[in-house]
Amino acid sequence: MSTDRGVGLLDGRVALITGGAAGIGLGIATAMAREGAAVVLAVRRTENGGPAAEALRSGGHRALCIRCDVTSRDDLEAAVAATVGDFGRLDCFVHNAVGGNVAPGPIEGMDDGWLGLLATTVRASFDAAQVSHPHLADAGGSFILMASAAGMEGSANLPAYAMVKASQRALAKSLSREWGPYGIRVNCIAPVARTPAMDRAYRANPNLEEQLVGRTPLQRIGDPTDDIGPVAVFLASDLARFVTGQTIVADGGGFLGL
Amino acid sequence: MGTRTLVCGAGGLTYELVDRLRERGHLVEGVATASLVVRADAGTAVDAAADALGALDLVVHVLGSPGHPTPLVDLSTDEWVAACEEPMVGALHLLQACRPHLGPGSRVVHVVPTSAMGGAPGFAATATAAEGIRALNKSAARQWGADGITATVVAAAPELLIGPAANSAGGALTGPALGRTGGAEDLAGIIDTLASPDAAFTTGSTIVADGGTWMAP
Repeated sequence: MSTDRGVGLLDGRVALITGGAAGIGLGIATAMAREGAAVVLAVRRTENGGPAAEALRSGGHRALCIRCDVTSRDDLEAAVAATVGDFGRLDCFVHNAVGGNVAPGPIEGMDDGWLGLLATTVRASFDAAQVSHPHLADAGGSFILMASAAGMEGSANLPAYAMVKASQRALAKSLSREWGPYGIRVNCIAPVARTPAMDRAYRANPNLEEQLVGRTPLQRIGDPTDDIGPVAVFLASDLARFVTGQTIVADGGGFLGL
Repeated sequence: MGTRTLVCGAGGLTYELVDRLRERGHLVEGVATASLVVRADAGTAVDAAADALGALDLVVHVLGSPGHPTPLVDLSTDEWVAACEEPMVGALHLLQACRPHLGPGSRVVHVVPTSAMGGAPGFAATATAAEGIRALNKSAARQWGADGITATVVAAAPELLIGPAANSAGGALTGPALGRTGGAEDLAGIIDTLASPDAAFTTGSTIVADGGTWMAP
């Protein structure tokens, strides 16, 4: 299915993707690169992101890996500055990174471990928005946050994850209204895809794959590059020039609550 | 015996809500929002309130907000933390502290502005917290339902919870169908209804009580 070249939907554009070393972030970066974008993988561990960027470059794409811990505002600021320094502009910021490993469990059992999740999602989105805003305004760009169906339908076993993912949607909606006059569009993607994180979840719950596929009309789990990436391409491209404040659920139809 | 109610919030609306609930026969104890930031403090405050009441039939958490709009790009980190992250952390700590005092028939009600669903220019931090809290409420509904505990959200007009500077939900073209954005008595009415046995089969839901502005879905 995959091709190394798209039709140039993002020719001349520059995108920064946090957490782009693997999984959905890398899928989004790859899909954007294939459509002509220069992509920056802003990653916590360059030993993973470096080879990923190198692979994109060897495929003829423009790609860069920058070390960036999204819980550090300075890192985010530096990543944006390096992006603009190297590629001259920033058209799309995708905040995809999520950290803070929170085990499934009851609300009453949650300890401060979930604050890592809060930091990598809620706080990092705030910092990312502030540091990227001037450049996105210059470019008439696109800001993309990652949401989850868990945040909409309510999660029985991942209350912290549901909480922070839900919050991203209200942030995107609020920013879409604040940033519309700047020509910046702000949207969310709520994906389900086969990622290293999903593989870990499968190992923890052997029935999970069957449950997920069973409720999915398209009867499979998404591919980060071929199923989720194109949604981000769409949101970053002129095809979505009149789309802002929205959540696109890319999960094969599993969640139909919107 | 009256409904044993714990109310947590800040500001004049919360005090008015307490008065209105007492008029409806609730026995009310209050917990200050500020005491929720540290988990241990929340436990101490809630335990004291629950001990005074004997048990908790109803927990009401009213989300507070800065009254003045600030574009997100102009917010300081401290302002963001105070308006967004601390209320989310506080909502969690409140639920954790309340859980041992809840039993079959107990209710949890979170009161948030409809900007949780519609977004709020100038109040992004509050909207972000509100939607996070709405999801936390749904998790509580799913986890505690087997024990007969319900959790619901009342979404009120932003003007009521945030102040006159707050835009109506979602930039609605028209004002409230009922011609007003409501007050503490309106909130007390819907909360009292949710606390009644007739609402025992409603959980994880958001009831919009804003006079008919936000009508989605």
